[in-house]
Amino acid sequence: MGTPLQVGLLCVAGALLGIAANRFTPHPAPLGARVLASAEQPGAVCDDPRASIARISVEEAKPLCIACTATFIDARSAQEYAAGHVTGAFHLAPGESIEALLSTLRSAPLVIVYDRDRECSAANQVAAQIQAQGVRDVRVLTGAWPEWLSRGGPGESGTCGVCTAGPR
Amino acid sequence: MSRIALVGLRVALGLLFLWAAVSKVPDLAAFAQDVANYRIIPPALVPYAAAAVVGIEIVTGIALVTGIAARPAAILASILLVAFTAFLAQALLRGIDLRCGCFGTNEPASWWTVLRDLLLLTAALAVARLGQRRPRQDSPLTA
Repeated sequence: MGTPLQVGLLCVAGALLGIAANRFTPHPAPLGARVLASAEQPGAVCDDPRASIARISVEEAKPLCIACTATFIDARSAQEYAAGHVTGAFHLAPGESIEALLSTLRSAPLVIVYDRDRECSAANQVAAQIQAQGVRDVRVLTGAWPEWLSRGGPGESGTCGVCTAGPR
Repeated sequence: MSRIALVGLRVALGLLFLWAAVSKVPDLAAFAQDVANYRIIPPALVPYAAAAVVGIEIVTGIALVTGIAARPAAILASILLVAFTAFLAQALLRGIDLRCGCFGTNEPASWWTVLRDLLLLTAALAVARLGQRRPRQDSPLTA
């Protein structure tokens, strides 16, 4: 018997064994059900309990935006920011210089960072970058920009003329 | 590489695969979630893939430890490790924060995990490659 055939047989035998024996395990894999990624499950968007940056929901953040008591940071690309962002938000993508925004961020009672991604990976990076500059209350928006839009959060469009230099 | 070293490497690799499988068996549902978090496999196929991977790891581990069909098992182990490495690397490059799902623990996926898989891949390839050589008749290690 050729080696490729033996490899194939081992693979098929193992796969069949695993699937057949699954139901005899203490917590079997749910065969026949769809298993979504954690971040795609309803209510679990960007809500990883292991996250080191505190979270804030859209429902909590909306009134803070309307009352202008929180500073919003958009961690998506400049193009996405220009197409639409949270009203009054500044743009700061991961790795970009924070210098122009530093005084604004340090004087803000609360900084809320968001991105487009359901894992909030870009928002996490930017939030950590801001925290490292001594800004104390920094949180990441769960649900990100898509949920902000779908829940009717206030938004505007246009480029951020104050994000790289000059006063707001 | 001496025959004894090669046998040791094969058995160690087999035990590692068995350990990886056995550590996942108590909670295959959690392992299926780990697999889903890589976002490569369609959600409907994730539980089947998770159960199948554990079964393949068991069969591969037994074959490597016992030496029965050891070379095909080492090739299969290499294929698995290439797949694991690719899954990990794409998740890390996409910035997905997830558990590795490697040994039934909460170990986060990292470039260290990728490096570890590459080292294991090297070992599996060595077993697959060197295991096919016929021992020389005058070799002192020939039984």
